[in-house]
Amino acid sequence: MDANTERGDGEPFDEPLTPAVRPVGAEENADGAAAGETIQVEELTGSRRTLDPTIQRVWVLQAAVPSLVLGGIAGAAFAFLPIGDAWVGTVVATVVFALAAVLAMLRYRSWAYEVRGDSLYLERGVITDVTTVVPYVRIQHVDASRGPIERAFGLATTVVYTAGSRGADVSIPGLSPERAEDLQARLKQLTIAAEGEDAV
Amino acid sequence: MKLDPLSIPYRTGESVLRLAWLLVFLFLGSPLDGLTGAGLLVVGWFVVALAYQLVYYQRFEYELTDDSLDIVSGVVSRRNREIPVRRVQNVDISRNVVQRLLGLAQINLETAGGSSTEASLNCVSEDEARRLQSAIGQLKREEAQTAADDEPAVEERRLFDITPKELALLGVTGIDLRLLSVVTVVLPVVAPSLRERFADPLVGLAVTAPLAAVVIVAVAAVISGVLAVTNYYGFRLSRRSEELQYERGLLQRFSGTIPLEKVQTLAVSESFIARQLGYASLAVETAGYGPDDAGSQSAVPLADRDRVLSLAASVEAFDDPDFRRPPRRARQRYVGRYGAVAAVAVGAVFAADRLTTLPVAWYWAGVLLPVAPVAAHLKWVNLGYDVQPEYVVLREGFWTRTTTVVPYYRVQTVLNSRTVFQRRRRLATLVVDTAGSSGLTGGQPRALDIDADRAAELREAVANRLQESLNRRQEKRRRERLRSIEPPTAGTT
Repeated sequence: MDANTERGDGEPFDEPLTPAVRPVGAEENADGAAAGETIQVEELTGSRRTLDPTIQRVWVLQAAVPSLVLGGIAGAAFAFLPIGDAWVGTVVATVVFALAAVLAMLRYRSWAYEVRGDSLYLERGVITDVTTVVPYVRIQHVDASRGPIERAFGLATTVVYTAGSRGADVSIPGLSPERAEDLQARLKQLTIAAEGEDAV
Repeated sequence: MKLDPLSIPYRTGESVLRLAWLLVFLFLGSPLDGLTGAGLLVVGWFVVALAYQLVYYQRFEYELTDDSLDIVSGVVSRRNREIPVRRVQNVDISRNVVQRLLGLAQINLETAGGSSTEASLNCVSEDEARRLQSAIGQLKREEAQTAADDEPAVEERRLFDITPKELALLGVTGIDLRLLSVVTVVLPVVAPSLRERFADPLVGLAVTAPLAAVVIVAVAAVISGVLAVTNYYGFRLSRRSEELQYERGLLQRFSGTIPLEKVQTLAVSESFIARQLGYASLAVETAGYGPDDAGSQSAVPLADRDRVLSLAASVEAFDDPDFRRPPRRARQRYVGRYGAVAAVAVGAVFAADRLTTLPVAWYWAGVLLPVAPVAAHLKWVNLGYDVQPEYVVLREGFWTRTTTVVPYYRVQTVLNSRTVFQRRRRLATLVVDTAGSSGLTGGQPRALDIDADRAAELREAVANRLQESLNRRQEKRRRERLRSIEPPTAGTT
C-alpha cells in the first residue's frame, strides 16, 4: 500500500518506456552491436506445414447446417409438387452433406503454409487452387480467432491483414491454439524485422 | 477558424429542400388542405433547421496547425478531431451551382484507412478552400522534407488542358458498345413476338432492328456526351512539386489533389472507339479511399494515346511496354467457353420458341455461334503482360482495354490461382494485389491465363523484386538523411 502511494506521489512517467518497435539501423554504430540481439530470421522460419487433421471435422460440421436448410427447402418444395414427395428433401440433404464432406477432405489435403525468410507462403483450394505470397513488410496486423465450433475441437485460426484489397483473405485455419499463438508471435517478430516503410 | 457565415442559409436551404422533396412525393395528388399542411410543415422545418444550423455554425471550429488539422464540432455530442497532415491523402474541393453563386466551397479530406471521407468542411469561402488546399499541400511537403536543403519555390506546371474536341470525343468514346451488340442480337430474335403483340405499328421491326440499334447508340451518345461535358468541362491537370492537382466540372466544380507519393497504380484505358481514333485515358489509383470514389481518379479523361503514355511515364518511369501474350491454348479455352455460352443461348431461345406460344425468331440467335471464335481471338489478342525492372505492366480487355502499371514497391500480396478448367490446360492467373481500391479499372491487376509454371515463377519474381526495390528505397532514404546531417558536422570538425 505504502509503496503504491509513494509511487503515486512521484512522477508516474519516470520509468523510461522501451519502444515496442525499434527502427532497424537507426544508429549506425549500433549496427554491429545490435546484430546479436536483433531478430534471428532463420530461427523463426519453418518448413512447409499442413493443417491439423481435426479441421476436416470442423468443416464437415459447418456444412451440416446449410445442407439441412437446403434439404428442408427441397423437401417443402416437393411436398407441394405433383412429382416426388417430402422424402426428396432427405436425399438432397444427404447428397449435399456427402459432397461437403468430400470437399472438406480435399480442402484439407490442398492446404499448406510455410513461414519463409521474407514472406508467408500459402497454398489452398480444391476447385480453384490459389497460391499466395504475403511479404512480411506488408503485414498490418495478425489476429488469432476462434469460432465456437473451432473452440469445441480445440482449434484456432490465424488471420493476417495487409492493406491490399484482398487483405482479410489471408487466414490460416486449423491450427492448434499453441501453434496459432506461435505463428502469431513468429509473424510479429518477422514483421518487425522486415520493418521498413509505410505499409501502404 | 469558423465556417463561412453564408453556410448557415446554404445548409438550411439544403435541409429544407430535402424535406420538400419528400413532401412532394407524399402529397402529390392529394387534396388542397394536404398541400397547406405540407406548407406549414416546411415553414416549421425551416425555423427548426435555421436554428440548428446557427448553433452548428457557432459550435464548429477548425484550425490548421503546423502538423495537423484540428476540428471541434457537434451540436449535441461534441467531437474533437485531430487529423495529422502527413496522413492526408487527398484534399478535394467541390462547388455546386448554388455554392458557386454564394462563393462557397466544400472541402473533403481523405485519409488512407477508413471507408468514408475523414472530414468535411461544409462550407467555407472559396478563397479559404484554396488556401487550405495549398497550405495542407505545403505542410505535407515540409514534413516529408528533412529541414536542411531549401525547397525551390513551389512552381505550378500545367500538364494538361482538355480541348473542346477532346471533350466532344469523350462523349462519343464513352458509349458502351456492348449495348449495340446486345441490341443487334436481341431485337431481331424477339421481333416476331413484338410484332404479334403490338400488331401493325411494329411491322418490319426485324428489318429495322439495325436502325433501332443506331437510334439507341445515338441516344446513348447524347447522354454520355452531356455527362462528359458537365463532368469534365474545363478539365485541367497541373503538377506542383509532388502533387497533381485537377479541376473539372461545368455545373458543379471539383478540384482535388493527388499526392504522387501515395500513387499505387496507373491505369491507361482505351475504349473500343477511343482505340480506333488513337485516344486513351489515364486513371491514378491511390490507397484506401471512399468507396464512392473508389480510389481511382481520372488524371486525364481523354487525350492522344502517346500523350497519355508520356504523362503516365512522367508519374511512374516505366518503359514502353513490350507485351507477352498468354499461350495459344488460352485462346482455345476462350473458344470453348464462348462456344458453350453461345450454344446455351441458342438452345434457350429455341426452347422459348417451342415451349411458349410466343413466336421467336430463334435462328437469329445462331449468329452467336460463328461469333464465338472471333470473340475468343479478340479477348486473347488484348491480353498481355510485361515484366520490367521496376514495374509490372498488365493489359486486359477488348471493349475497354486497360493497361495497368504496378510498381513493385506497391505490391501487397502476390497470388496465382488455377481453376479446374485452367489446370486442364496448364494455365494460371497471376494477381498482383496493391492497396489501390480498384474502382474504375475493375478488379485487381492480373495476368490472365498465362502458363502455370511461368505464373509460379513470376509470383516469386514479383515478391523478390518487391523486397529488392524496398531495400533500394530504404537505402536511398538513408543516404538522403545522412547527406542532410553531414554538412554541419563537416563544418565543426
